[in-house]
Amino acid sequence: MGCLIIIVLTALLGLYMAWNVGANDVANSMGCAVGSKSISIKWAVIAAGICEFAGSVLVGAHVTDTVRKGIVDPTVIASLPGLGPGEAPALVLIGMAASLLAAAVWLNVATWMGMPVSTSHSIVGAIAGYGIIAAGWSAVHWGKMGQIVASWFLSPLAGGILGFILFKMISKLILGRKRPVLAAVSITPFVVFLMMVVVTLAIAYKGLKHLTGERAEWITGNGAFLAAAVVGLLSALTARILIRRALRDKEDLPLPDQLELVERVFAPLVVVASCAVAFSHGANDVANAVGPLAAIVDIASTCTVKMRVFVPAWVLVLGGCGIVAGLATFGYRVMQTVGTKITQMTPSRGVAAATAATITVLVCTRMKLPVSTTHTLVGAILGIGLARGLAAVNRQVTRNIFGSWFITVPAAAILAMVFFLLGKVLLLEYVQQALCQVPPSAG
Amino acid sequence: MSLIKELFGQSPFGPLVEHTKKVHECVKLIEPLTEALLKGDDEEIHRLQDRVSKLEYEADVIKHEIREQLPRRYFLPVGRDELENFLRCQDKIADSVQDFAVVLFIRKTRVHPELKDLFLEFVGQVLKVSNTLNEAAVELQNLAETSFGGAEATSVLDQIAGLGEQEWNADRMQRRLSRKIYSLEQELDPVTILFYDKMLQTLSRVANEAENTGDLLRAMILKG
Repeated sequence: MGCLIIIVLTALLGLYMAWNVGANDVANSMGCAVGSKSISIKWAVIAAGICEFAGSVLVGAHVTDTVRKGIVDPTVIASLPGLGPGEAPALVLIGMAASLLAAAVWLNVATWMGMPVSTSHSIVGAIAGYGIIAAGWSAVHWGKMGQIVASWFLSPLAGGILGFILFKMISKLILGRKRPVLAAVSITPFVVFLMMVVVTLAIAYKGLKHLTGERAEWITGNGAFLAAAVVGLLSALTARILIRRALRDKEDLPLPDQLELVERVFAPLVVVASCAVAFSHGANDVANAVGPLAAIVDIASTCTVKMRVFVPAWVLVLGGCGIVAGLATFGYRVMQTVGTKITQMTPSRGVAAATAATITVLVCTRMKLPVSTTHTLVGAILGIGLARGLAAVNRQVTRNIFGSWFITVPAAAILAMVFFLLGKVLLLEYVQQALCQVPPSAG
Repeated sequence: MSLIKELFGQSPFGPLVEHTKKVHECVKLIEPLTEALLKGDDEEIHRLQDRVSKLEYEADVIKHEIREQLPRRYFLPVGRDELENFLRCQDKIADSVQDFAVVLFIRKTRVHPELKDLFLEFVGQVLKVSNTLNEAAVELQNLAETSFGGAEATSVLDQIAGLGEQEWNADRMQRRLSRKIYSLEQELDPVTILFYDKMLQTLSRVANEAENTGDLLRAMILKG
């Protein structure tokens, strides 16, 4: 009974955090499509909801593992000297709950103060904070922590470089041609191919493993490459047929008209690319909410602290639901303001930015690195600015990004420490009892 | 707060093209002004002078708006100095047109019959220079769309390439006209000569500034 209460309470906490993720970040992921007026806000919300949910449930388990046990080694806490029976799992459980609460509270405070914050940075900071206070500096995997922090530098940089290259290619091979319309027919299918291969690979290659187990090796193993190639080719062919039909006999129009037609061809693509960003956002960021939750569920149902456990699917589904709820309640408004502010984003730029961000975030997801989707996208957009693709880009934003780490990580860590200490004083005995009421045979 | 939302400023290139068009509207009035001058239609000159002055003011307003919306924190696809100088230089074209209109307005100067042909030729060449610039400068928005590269940039650069020679021709015509004026100095009173000179100075400034604006446009395209 006690365990059930604990699971339900932390599930609510996880839902709250996921709601925060949805309310804060999702509007950014669809920003390119909304800003370029390629999709209405209503449909952007619906599409984002579906893609976020799919991403979190299908691929979300990778980063969840990192958040659950990659930053703080739970077995270090379990092997602390002088712990009573059931005290170690109880400590880990309280710590994870404290981290979740700290990250969510910090997100709310920061949003209220008008600061741009990343949910990924909040949860990583919070978990490191609890690890330090619970078992000292050595409980934190500093190697992994270093990798994560490095990925925060590298993901916007990689997004920027990819965005720069992709946009340079689009502008050199299509927009910069004498007859952009003709170039669009022959080049755009390659862009479509690249985009679809990336998305398919991300979903299939080892991504579905936690859902299918070992049964579907043909699709989660090397077969995924074949599947991606097939999907990519089919989409590229379809795109070519459709684009050809849309642009037939238009090559003699004046340049501005041709450019507009080409941008219109890119409009469906930017929607697909933005959906891919939403998908990868779901995949990477759902972990911020459900990582601690998965750890708690594991501990509460087995009464032990272990390293190897699959993330239960219902936890990912819960996270996906939370994100969608956040999107449904707050996302609409945020999407509206984002959409009206980034009208410079034309579909061709949007495709470059969103594709660059998707590739970067999905690679990071596969490397089990919790990165900020928003920062990666900002990096990609700055890359397009450097490629002379945007009329006016605010360079101060980069300063805000660095600023947000330097505040968010310590702030979330300190909050987590406070909540952990409070929880330890007030709840340790209760949790310990609840956990130990479970007979060992059931675990 | 959303970072993506904060990332974008307003594009200056749409308003820049507006400015170009406004300045060109000014320039286009040189022709009716010249006609009115040759006909000695003072009322028409008065009316056109008001019109030029209004257009010049409107161009000024656009210029200030562009400057205000471009704080330093925005990163542009073209050099900021080149952009600001382009705007200033283009604005000077309108200023010069206005100066020309004022010269015609403040004194009822008549054009000597022997000067008419050379004068018309010179005015035509000045208009040619500023037309070339106008045709290139209105492409700024398209240049931004194509990220200042490729076929569009090449074609605009080709257009500007002719400006130098066209302006040099205007200079030569101005010199020829000047010599003609001074060859008639016995028949003309000094104040009339003074005003002829003012007309030539202001008109040649239109062509000069158009050439300089073209140079800055080239610098904007070539340097990011």
